[in-house]
Amino acid sequence: MKALRRGLIVAVIAVLVGGFVKLRGKGGVPPTSGGWRELDGPDFR
Amino acid sequence: MATVLLEGVGAVGIRAARQLVDTPGLDRLLITARGSSHAADLAASLGDRAEAVELFPDDPLPAGVDAAAAALPAALVAPRAKRALAAGVPFTSTVDDAAAIDELLELDEPARRAGVLLAPGCGLAPGLADALARHAADALDSVDEIHVARAGSAGPACTAAVRRSRRDPAVEWRDGGWRDERRPNPELVWFPDPIGSRECAPVAVGVALLVRAFPGVRRVTVRFAEPVSRRLTWPGRRGLDEGWGSTRVEVWGWRGRARESMVYGLIDRTGLAAGTVLAVTAARLAGIAPGLAARSGPAAGVHGLAALVEPVPFLAELARRGVKAAVFEGVAVA
Repeated sequence: MKALRRGLIVAVIAVLVGGFVKLRGKGGVPPTSGGWRELDGPDFR
Repeated sequence: MATVLLEGVGAVGIRAARQLVDTPGLDRLLITARGSSHAADLAASLGDRAEAVELFPDDPLPAGVDAAAAALPAALVAPRAKRALAAGVPFTSTVDDAAAIDELLELDEPARRAGVLLAPGCGLAPGLADALARHAADALDSVDEIHVARAGSAGPACTAAVRRSRRDPAVEWRDGGWRDERRPNPELVWFPDPIGSRECAPVAVGVALLVRAFPGVRRVTVRFAEPVSRRLTWPGRRGLDEGWGSTRVEVWGWRGRARESMVYGLIDRTGLAAGTVLAVTAARLAGIAPGLAARSGPAAGVHGLAALVEPVPFLAELARRGVKAAVFEGVAVA
């Protein structure tokens, strides 16, 4: 029982720390339109 | 006809060797590596033009070498560059470690005096990313911001270098000066699929090469994603990512009175892309790639690819060899 409780505490702390670290990132804004096009012949002239 | 010396037969070196023996005008490819049996095996698989040579760190370069290329761990690159410089032979390397690149940049003055060209950072990023930045810059009247990001690594030495770079203090060029990012924040970067979005941390690697190549640029950043093996990934994601790498180059500048951005990217096997860039650069330094016009500029000294190559023929040659860049057509957000 004691080990289970310790495990739960460790898991909760890990989730909180992970969430904090994740939220520190500024984060980018996903491109909302457009896409990638391979460069080919006309681009190399 | 020319002779090229290739040092290192890891994930990048093997790809570079294959690309070099397929280059018209190459007479001999000399291959050397710490484990000489690996070099011999590789040379045997590449045909008559490839030859394994035993070359110790203190040995001089073999006679008749027209260019030297190194796909070696960072700590070994500067001594090899000095050896090439002493022999008056142009040198290129895929090195992607900030301290090692700085060490090579210290050779700029002696290289200029000797009339020798040294080209560090000729892999995926720094390397191909620099050529893409130049390609974008050529489409603009002036450039004020360059942002490079990279995901992926090739081989254990490269993976270790990426992790080290992310741990080391990051450096950013901003408003004409160096800014230390003591507590750098990661930023989400959108690479071409299937890499997709990745958190990338600012690093110092390659910033100096870009600043030297683009005098007057206001801001330069380089960001690396954490190598995938140490990240917690969703089931199935790891297999998708393994071996793949990507770079994304975003350049902001002015065309006429309008501020515009150009975004280029590439996705390929990291080792294949880096090896191909190294091979094409070595061919250009050896003078066996007449289609790859040298950019009118420095003929000697230490320079990255943005200062060395005309991007259009360079990218076309890479595309001919299967390493194809892409342009993002849409709205980039500053």
